[in-house]
Amino acid sequence: MSAEILPYLIIIPLFGAFSMPMVNLAGRKAREAWAVLISGATLAVGSWVFYWVYEKGTVLYTLGAKSPFGQANFPIRIVWEVDLFGALMVLMVTFVAFMAVIYSLGYMRHDTGLDKYYTLIIILELGMLGIAITGDLFNFYVFLEIMSIASYALVAFRNDTWEAIEAGIKYMFVGSVASSLILLGIALLYGEYGTLTMGYLALKLSQNPTIVGKVALALFISGLLFKSGASPVHMWLADAHPAAPSSISAMLSGLVIKIGGIYALARIAFSIYGASVSVKTVGWLIILFACITLIVGNAMAVIQTDMKRLLAYSSVGQIGYILLGIGIGLAAYGSQTGEIALAGAIYHTFNHALMKGLLFLIAGAVIHQLGTRDLNELSGLAKTMPKTTFAFLIGAAAIIGMPPLNGFASKWLIYESSALFNPVLGAIAIIGTAFCTAAYVRVLYTFFGRPSERVMEAKDPEKSMLWPMLILTIAIIVMGLFPWGISDKVMIPAAKALENQLAYVATLMGGG
Amino acid sequence: MIQFQFITAFLLIVLGIYAFLAKNNLLKLILALDIIDSGIHLLLISLGYRIELNEIPTAPIYTGYETLKSPMVGPLPQALVLTSIVIGVCVLALAMALTVNAYRHYGTLDVRALRRLRG
Repeated sequence: MSAEILPYLIIIPLFGAFSMPMVNLAGRKAREAWAVLISGATLAVGSWVFYWVYEKGTVLYTLGAKSPFGQANFPIRIVWEVDLFGALMVLMVTFVAFMAVIYSLGYMRHDTGLDKYYTLIIILELGMLGIAITGDLFNFYVFLEIMSIASYALVAFRNDTWEAIEAGIKYMFVGSVASSLILLGIALLYGEYGTLTMGYLALKLSQNPTIVGKVALALFISGLLFKSGASPVHMWLADAHPAAPSSISAMLSGLVIKIGGIYALARIAFSIYGASVSVKTVGWLIILFACITLIVGNAMAVIQTDMKRLLAYSSVGQIGYILLGIGIGLAAYGSQTGEIALAGAIYHTFNHALMKGLLFLIAGAVIHQLGTRDLNELSGLAKTMPKTTFAFLIGAAAIIGMPPLNGFASKWLIYESSALFNPVLGAIAIIGTAFCTAAYVRVLYTFFGRPSERVMEAKDPEKSMLWPMLILTIAIIVMGLFPWGISDKVMIPAAKALENQLAYVATLMGGG
Repeated sequence: MIQFQFITAFLLIVLGIYAFLAKNNLLKLILALDIIDSGIHLLLISLGYRIELNEIPTAPIYTGYETLKSPMVGPLPQALVLTSIVIGVCVLALAMALTVNAYRHYGTLDVRALRRLRG
């Protein structure tokens, strides 16, 4: 029973996505109900998977026979392996995607071609779920491409505007080159070790680490840093995320750059390479990129006048924090500090998905009401859209890291571990937060300022848009009430599961 | 023995990356992406072709395996390359569609014109 539920994470969205054009023939109501039903069912399965992994430990699922030759006692077919880190990502993806789908009902009502929109949004979710659960490198590549192609198409969804097309083209070219680098890395690893299963590859790599393996790691890191929008190559992100419809921006910023970038990077660095390369060197390399990303992203956010662009740059900055956590986790591998840093990174990944999802949904509500996202024209929004402004206040406070909200705990873990590891890194992290605070205070200042004529006719959005925002706000507040409980019960075990390469391999070989 | 297939594959990849960085026409960029992909596919498929004991390997067909004298090529890379080609076609189709749209909005295929988003 345990692992048999796992394929439904893929089957349900796949079936839902490709039956969408047929359901669409029955009209708008059927289409919307179908989209909500499918993403809701996926959320239910995702929560169940998380619960199961949390209670029972790592789950292994083999596609095809367990031992095809009748003698090997380990699966050499495609395997899916979900540890607590992966399960947490599954929960995050299904939850935020469900909110985005509900939000789309109201937000996208005036667009055309909505059957394709819902098909793509569910395929996007499917690709991310696949990445989170897979234990096979080529399978990972296929899901990565499913996710990427769906997101290229969704960024360029409003193809009657030049902005969407330009952003889509930039995103597509950068993303395709990054995918090619990753595929090249996979080809090199396969040629050298003759296997694609992550756990078995880890075993072979630790027995015989070669230079080809290191070249492959370099290709993976560069490709995945591209995909996660780390700083020297973050330009596509600042164009692509604002240009997409807001519900998609929430998924891109909240989920795609994390699953397709951070999660995959952590999985490859820890679960495959953990025992066979100098983790200190790789860790410091990632820390270097993290520090640049942290400063550049947050500093660029301060000077933006476009609300969604500000949020996109802020995403770059927050990715910097998560990368910093991952980097310290690698550089201080095996020590208490590394564990705290890793737990902080995982915690912040989850929190940032909720916060940035919420903030982009709010930006969408503002655009829906006023037709502009220029901050200079949004003065005094607090009077006419009080609920939206309240949600923004919570989201902004959480992303800055104010104590009673969820962002505080995760940022605290990252500060603490970076200060313990190297005080300079701690200082850089704090400087990044100072910039971040400046950016959000500016937006809040605008919202609470003197009302301009333009905002007088605005009102809070309709129910289908308001509810996802409220649910995300409540999630942020509730998670903020038990910061250390969540950290001790979920995040530290998840970090331990990620760090423990032996257990990952043992589960694959049938020992666990 | 020199393994020409690997050298060709890496030459193709390098050529593709050069074209990607040096060219400005959107169509040429799409071609560059395809050349990089082709290089990787060539590398991947030639990994399955291993000459053992100086015998040319045959196609991976399992019926009549016992009577076969020579080794077989690896079937897995072929499956991988097939999958990868399908993905590549999908990306290419999307790129073409976006390029048509870009021509509609900008009236040119020069990427240097696609610079309106800034900041």
